Amino acid sequence: MANRLAILWALVVLAVGVHQVSFWRGAHLDTDVLALLPEDEQAPEVDAATRRLADEAGRQVVLLVGAKDWTAAQQAADAATQALGQSGDVLEPAVVDTSALDQAVDFYRPYRDRLLTPSQRQWLTRATPDELGGTALMKLYQPAGAQLTDWNVDPLGLWPDWWQARAAETSARPRDGRLWLSGEGREWVLLTWKSKVSAFALGDGARVTAAVERARSRVETAVPGGRLVAAGVPLYAEAAAAQASWEMSTIGFGSLAAVLLLVWLTFRSLRPILLVGVSLLLGCAVALTVTALLFDRVHLLTLVFGSSLVGVAEDYGFHYFAARQGKAPSERGPVMRSLLPGMALALITSVVAYLALGVAPFPGLRQMAVFSAAGLTAAFLTVVCWFPSLDRGALPVTAFSERFSASITRWPRVTSTRGWWLTGAGLAVLVAVGLFRLKPQDDLRQLQGAPPNLIADQRELGRLLGLPSPAQFFLVEGDSDEQVLAREAALKQRLDPLVTQKVFAGYRAVSDWLPSEAQQREDAALSARAEAQAVAAVAASTGEAPTRAAFAQTPLTPSRFLAGPAASAIRQQWLGTLGARQYSVLMLRGLNDPKVLPRLEAVAQGLEGIRWVDKTAEISGLLGRYRRIMGGLIAAGYIAVLLTLMARFGRQAWRAWLPSVLGTLLTLALFGWVGAPLQLFTVLGLVLLLGMGVDYGIFLLEHPGDGSAWLAVALAGVSTLLSFGLLALSATPALRSFGLAMLLGEVTIWILTPCFRLPTRKATP
Amino acid sequence: MKPLVLVACLLMGLSAHAADLVKDVRARLVDAPLVRGKFEQKKTVAGFKKPLVSKGDFLLARDQGVLWNTRTPFASTLTLTRKSLSAEQGAGGAAYHLDSTKEPALAAMNELLFALLAGDVATLQQRFKVEGALVGPTGWKLELTPTDAGLARVFKHIRMEGDGYVRQVHLEETRGDSSVILFDALAQTPPPDATEAGRLGK
Repeated sequence: MANRLAILWALVVLAVGVHQVSFWRGAHLDTDVLALLPEDEQAPEVDAATRRLADEAGRQVVLLVGAKDWTAAQQAADAATQALGQSGDVLEPAVVDTSALDQAVDFYRPYRDRLLTPSQRQWLTRATPDELGGTALMKLYQPAGAQLTDWNVDPLGLWPDWWQARAAETSARPRDGRLWLSGEGREWVLLTWKSKVSAFALGDGARVTAAVERARSRVETAVPGGRLVAAGVPLYAEAAAAQASWEMSTIGFGSLAAVLLLVWLTFRSLRPILLVGVSLLLGCAVALTVTALLFDRVHLLTLVFGSSLVGVAEDYGFHYFAARQGKAPSERGPVMRSLLPGMALALITSVVAYLALGVAPFPGLRQMAVFSAAGLTAAFLTVVCWFPSLDRGALPVTAFSERFSASITRWPRVTSTRGWWLTGAGLAVLVAVGLFRLKPQDDLRQLQGAPPNLIADQRELGRLLGLPSPAQFFLVEGDSDEQVLAREAALKQRLDPLVTQKVFAGYRAVSDWLPSEAQQREDAALSARAEAQAVAAVAASTGEAPTRAAFAQTPLTPSRFLAGPAASAIRQQWLGTLGARQYSVLMLRGLNDPKVLPRLEAVAQGLEGIRWVDKTAEISGLLGRYRRIMGGLIAAGYIAVLLTLMARFGRQAWRAWLPSVLGTLLTLALFGWVGAPLQLFTVLGLVLLLGMGVDYGIFLLEHPGDGSAWLAVALAGVSTLLSFGLLALSATPALRSFGLAMLLGEVTIWILTPCFRLPTRKATP
Repeated sequence: MKPLVLVACLLMGLSAHAADLVKDVRARLVDAPLVRGKFEQKKTVAGFKKPLVSKGDFLLARDQGVLWNTRTPFASTLTLTRKSLSAEQGAGGAAYHLDSTKEPALAAMNELLFALLAGDVATLQQRFKVEGALVGPTGWKLELTPTDAGLARVFKHIRMEGDGYVRQVHLEETRGDSSVILFDALAQTPPPDATEAGRLGK
């Protein structure tokens, strides 16, 4: 039976090995922070919009090179371009096609009569024939001007204004053959480059970042006060990869080294080291395989979090060897059988706790939960199925383990004395005050682990360029393209007054580039009437018979627009058909003050098919909601665990239970005392603590007075502590908070558990 | 971020042939902070059989701007400053105003017009290939060809003639329209009156 299990497990391991080879060949690792964010099950179109807007940037690296004056800025830009050009293997300049503009003008020319700005529409509606005629004459007789087209195509000179309004969607302007903008005390040149490296690989080195940094130092030496601001997905991806690989090796190898050292100290034999190593290796491999099979892409943060598994999965191996030490090889089977109930119970509580992390609808969190649960189970199975067969030969008790096993008798034990009651009361006050000072925080930023300088650059760039916000926008929905465009127009009418009041800088809407057919008809009629009057006035004044040009017979349709050269500016906002309905996104620029968001939200009210989307608020709300839900889950979990323990240990169950409760409370109190915020991830750490902290109590109750159980608990505690302690070094605030909660909780539980052990006389059955 | 400003593509190019010609022409031009005079403009526009002729007077104040007052065939004023371009027609109430501080393309267009009227060859040289010759003891002739694609989109050639002042400017647009502007009765006085100063101060 035991052998059959061992062979079965070997087959599973073999399959996992095969999968691992193929996995690492074409590693599908995800660095995108968005992938960690919760899916919105009720509104897949909101997700589609968010992802579309995020994908837009893709491989682009956008740089602003600035200096005190325009001449210096141009010099600095040349220096940057030269430096970037030297990294031709990773970066190439994004092609600025000068003919694109001519193509767009030619494309739109037949539709010129139906492209009007809101103010032109107003003016044409109320202008008198005299005013129209006068304007046409003035523009006709003006000494020189940059017309886009012949006079008879645009007798009132309306078209340049329309283009001007489109150009106002960004603050960059062509100047001396470059893209220029002015702001924050500097003149800037805009440069756009593209990363040539498509898929990133761990340990590939941050080559794009290095090239940008070279350009930065070149700019700073080229001109005094020179400055380079850069942003782009490739930079984030590289930073994330570099950080993740550093963290994975620190946490993974750090805890591995500690585990192996502890095993060596305790058993002074190579066999335990090898076998514990094998159980850890298989745990990690199985974890990765299961995760990769269940999810399309494995996220980097999963691997970072997963490296803490090393410190947890070794528990079962420790327990086996601690119990087996000093016993004859023939007793291996009975030893394992006597350990099995406690180990299984411990595994179940831990796995349940890990899986409870996946209750929150955060895909990243679910990956971490699956990864850890699978890894833990695999390590457990390896110990149970393989260790008795592989662990042949003697394993004498070492002096270290003997001394340590005996130390349990000297550990303080809580009894009903005055001193202990006073200590308890003092502790209760400290905990109460700490809990009172605890401040919750559900800020989205806890998920963002990018280096602060990257974030600062991104913000500055967005501010200078007036880029639209990717997190707050209006989602427009309709039965048809026409309805979507018409609804956009209705929304814009309500937004225009807010733009005038400078609540925000402006918007970008598809309907500005492609008005609805109804709008096109209306505007074409309006301009036809006004321009006929203007042409008549010019004819009367000049004594000639000029005629207004003819325009396209049919309206500009979405399909024709999307196939045309002008669509690239706006394509990512046109979501097209999702399900049975059409969607588009209306983006907002210059949204710097969170206080105005409620006013924007109010705009959508009463407008059919318009939804205000605030991803930041939505996710923060979700983080808060799940922080409370998980908090409730912890309370319920402790009651469930107490009932489970009572079923096995009866009236002594509290001895395994209370240390974890106290550890949780002390951890929370410490967070309160040091002013660390209570986040969803802190609470998740406590959930896991519930599952693992109870294990120690279970083992001590399961094997009362047995020094080897204490030895195993101590070893397990130290290594778990170390791996989660190392997680507290992570650059991702969420993981750091998680690690810190685990670290503090583990330490207190580890110290407290033996204090609540059974009195010695009861211990000997 | 797309290069959408059409109007905007009229600039750039930094060719600096410090030719002797330029130096000689500059030496022949009067260095005046203010020039007043009359103009006659003949504009040939597609769709019109005869040239469109307009007449009026102008004032060029260095570092301030240009006032361009058309008297016939109808009265209108054009004010060009470093900051804006505005036009008004007396009778019909037609008017428009463009702010050039935020649009370098418009600012560049203004700068070009200044330079043409003032005969500021040094500025023109930054954007055009300058060819030409001295004429007689006091005159000169220049032919300007845009050196960059943006400006070439608008102008094929600009020809200028003059002596102490610019006497004639001939603008040939790429699309076929063209204008000839003749200047006359040029003087350096009187200084701007209150109305003129007010318009220039805008």
